[in-house]
Amino acid sequence: MASTSEALYRPLASVLRTLRSMRTALILLLVVGAASVAGSLVPQAPTAPAAVADLFATRPLLARVYRALGLFDVYGSWWFTLTYVLLLISLASCLVPRTRALVRGMRARPQPVRDLNGLRHFAEAVVPAAPEAVLARSRSVLRRRRFRVAATDPGLAAEKGGAREWGSLLFHWSLFLILVGAVYGKGFGLRGVATIVEGETWTEAHASYDLPPEEGRFFTERMHTGLQARLEDFDATYYPDGLPRDFVSRVEVTGADGGPSTPSEIRVNQPLSVEGLKLFQQGYGWAPVIEVRHQGRLVASGPVVFVTDTPNDQRRPWRGVIKLPSLEPQIGLAFRLLPDPLAGLAGAPMLEVRDPFLTWRAWRGDLRLTAAQSVFTLDTTGLEPWLDGGLGLGQTAELPGGIEITFRDLREYTQLLVKRDPGTGLMLVAAILLLAGLVPALASSRRRVWVRAVGADGAGTRLQVGGFALQRRAAFAEEFDDLARELSRVER
Amino acid sequence: MSDGALTTTSNVTFGAALMLYLAAAVVSFHYLAYRRPGSLGVGRAVALIGLATHAISVVTRGLAAGRVPWGNMYEYASVLGLLIVGAYLLVIERVWRTEAVRGFAIGAAVLAMAGAIMFYVPPGPLVPALNSYWLRIHVVLAVLASALFILGAVFTVLYLVQERRERRSTPALVTEREPALVGAAGERPEDYATDQAEEARAPARARSRLPVAAELDRMAYRTIVFAFPIWTMAVIAGAIWAEQAWGRYWGWDPKEVWSFVTWVAFAGYLHARATVGWRGRRAAVLALVGFGALVFNLVVVNTVIAGLHSYA
Repeated sequence: MASTSEALYRPLASVLRTLRSMRTALILLLVVGAASVAGSLVPQAPTAPAAVADLFATRPLLARVYRALGLFDVYGSWWFTLTYVLLLISLASCLVPRTRALVRGMRARPQPVRDLNGLRHFAEAVVPAAPEAVLARSRSVLRRRRFRVAATDPGLAAEKGGAREWGSLLFHWSLFLILVGAVYGKGFGLRGVATIVEGETWTEAHASYDLPPEEGRFFTERMHTGLQARLEDFDATYYPDGLPRDFVSRVEVTGADGGPSTPSEIRVNQPLSVEGLKLFQQGYGWAPVIEVRHQGRLVASGPVVFVTDTPNDQRRPWRGVIKLPSLEPQIGLAFRLLPDPLAGLAGAPMLEVRDPFLTWRAWRGDLRLTAAQSVFTLDTTGLEPWLDGGLGLGQTAELPGGIEITFRDLREYTQLLVKRDPGTGLMLVAAILLLAGLVPALASSRRRVWVRAVGADGAGTRLQVGGFALQRRAAFAEEFDDLARELSRVER
Repeated sequence: MSDGALTTTSNVTFGAALMLYLAAAVVSFHYLAYRRPGSLGVGRAVALIGLATHAISVVTRGLAAGRVPWGNMYEYASVLGLLIVGAYLLVIERVWRTEAVRGFAIGAAVLAMAGAIMFYVPPGPLVPALNSYWLRIHVVLAVLASALFILGAVFTVLYLVQERRERRSTPALVTEREPALVGAAGERPEDYATDQAEEARAPARARSRLPVAAELDRMAYRTIVFAFPIWTMAVIAGAIWAEQAWGRYWGWDPKEVWSFVTWVAFAGYLHARATVGWRGRRAAVLALVGFGALVFNLVVVNTVIAGLHSYA
């Protein structure tokens, strides 16, 4: 048994030893850096699926190579995770012994040196005072210069610049914390997009997001809050030249426990924090309220979410569809909305509602609802165009077969990014600590000085000062001369 | 003044500053070539007037746009040039008395401003996502750190040139020896190699008008050490801003990736200085990698790669 455990232990120990070296940590950090470069140059499936598909279509061989190497999802690939974990282990195993040494070093006294003359900087003088008096004075001079002083057998040992080491450790531990916090926040995190039309209420739950939300590996169904958000009003304001100025969603938020609701505003750059979730203003659009009747019976009613293909250009109409699979033959209605037709026809952006106009085109045939499809477009492969027309607000179009389309109302909808990231606070604290450690770690310089005072042959004392610096050594030469001069000056 | 007059003032002073910088750089190179100490003072005066003119250009630009003057690439590059010259003339040259490298420092600013011209847009308001006070903090930190990193890179290149020249003139003395140090094991001074090099290479000093390699190396190191925490703060401020504007503090957006690469490269540089066998030239190469990532981030990421920072 002993031999087996030893056989296991040896390679493990050597792996640990490798991981513990600063070089390994640095190389791992550089690998993370290089991987992220790859991730910025190769399209990433989670953020740009269209670009990935495009690459498969245009350069299939290259795309297959990328896929084999996991380059389409660098940040989610097994080798990125592995490098990340190894970096964490390496960093920790670098830092633990250094932290222990620092704690021990705080209690330990500075070491004496046998031969001051052998130090890089050395000065000597005979001072007309008793050795004890010289040492006492030296101690106060060094303390005033913020040295940590300890008595050694024939003199004093002093050092300063300890902030370099504790600052460096604080910096690296904070970095460790940031790496951990990122994983923690993502693991227990949630991220999804919610669309709410004015006057409607949205309930936070897995199924109520536009698309299934991204949920972290450790996220469980119980972490959904069930909070309710009712959109009272959405407002978009623009500069005179049509550039967006501000977007505001006024929402009424009610907790899952049904407590009193609170009105809040969500703006760009001003998210709403509630029940561990953060709600961000992400998008907006038009939602005309359209009713469709078939022989007097209501077959579709309510706001229809319209989309635009040119979010930065409000001169184009918005589009949306209604699918009526219950009719025989099936009917699909494709709409285009001009919120401000006069402006639109003049080629100006349509930023306000003024006599909104809806054009429609009806298609007949097979909607092909058995195939996966978008709610914003019609799959026209099984359809043939039937009729078209236009509608002002409040107007009704009558189609053959007793079909009536009514444009009841025009509302806006808001699109909110809903996010839960329990690691954010930790990250902020770690980032502040990181800076708090980085500045002293880089700015302070370590110096060591030894002083020795022995009775000279005559009445005075032979004073010896030696020292060296570990950083900013050129500057220390002057500092040391100044110190030596001050130490050998005697007050009478 | 009307917005139009302010814009004109800003554009005219921008051009004037660029010309003055060019003149100052030419004077400085003339000094390097012919060693006329008289031209040093003239060059500095011209550069200082250029700096003042440039400051007027940036301020009037901000007044014309009615916001901080670092909201797009033109403005960013202009402020970058201003800070490069400002940091060099008002701090570095004063503290280290390094007049000989002035032409190179100002030349970097001239390049930044020539780049600015390519991205010129008339002053205008900001899109909602950019309208945050974190913008002011994040961008001002980023541009300041970039200016210092660029100066550090200029000194690094000069160091590499000078180091090569000195190595050629004193071939026997350049092998790096292990430091014989008093103190705990593993404690090594970060500028040890350069200290020794300085002693070994004294004869080469007379032949060059540039500072010795050791001095250039120290200048590069001190500049980068100063810039690194500022860059770190810029990245953190950017993360805080991203959290508010986009709902995540870090999303591997190309801009974020390249800021991170820049950070890693310069962190590597700082570590390399404390690692035996990595000091000197190898560390310098890491600094230049960091500089390359910085420039890539500024130019290529903004113009070629689509990302959330594409408007910047």
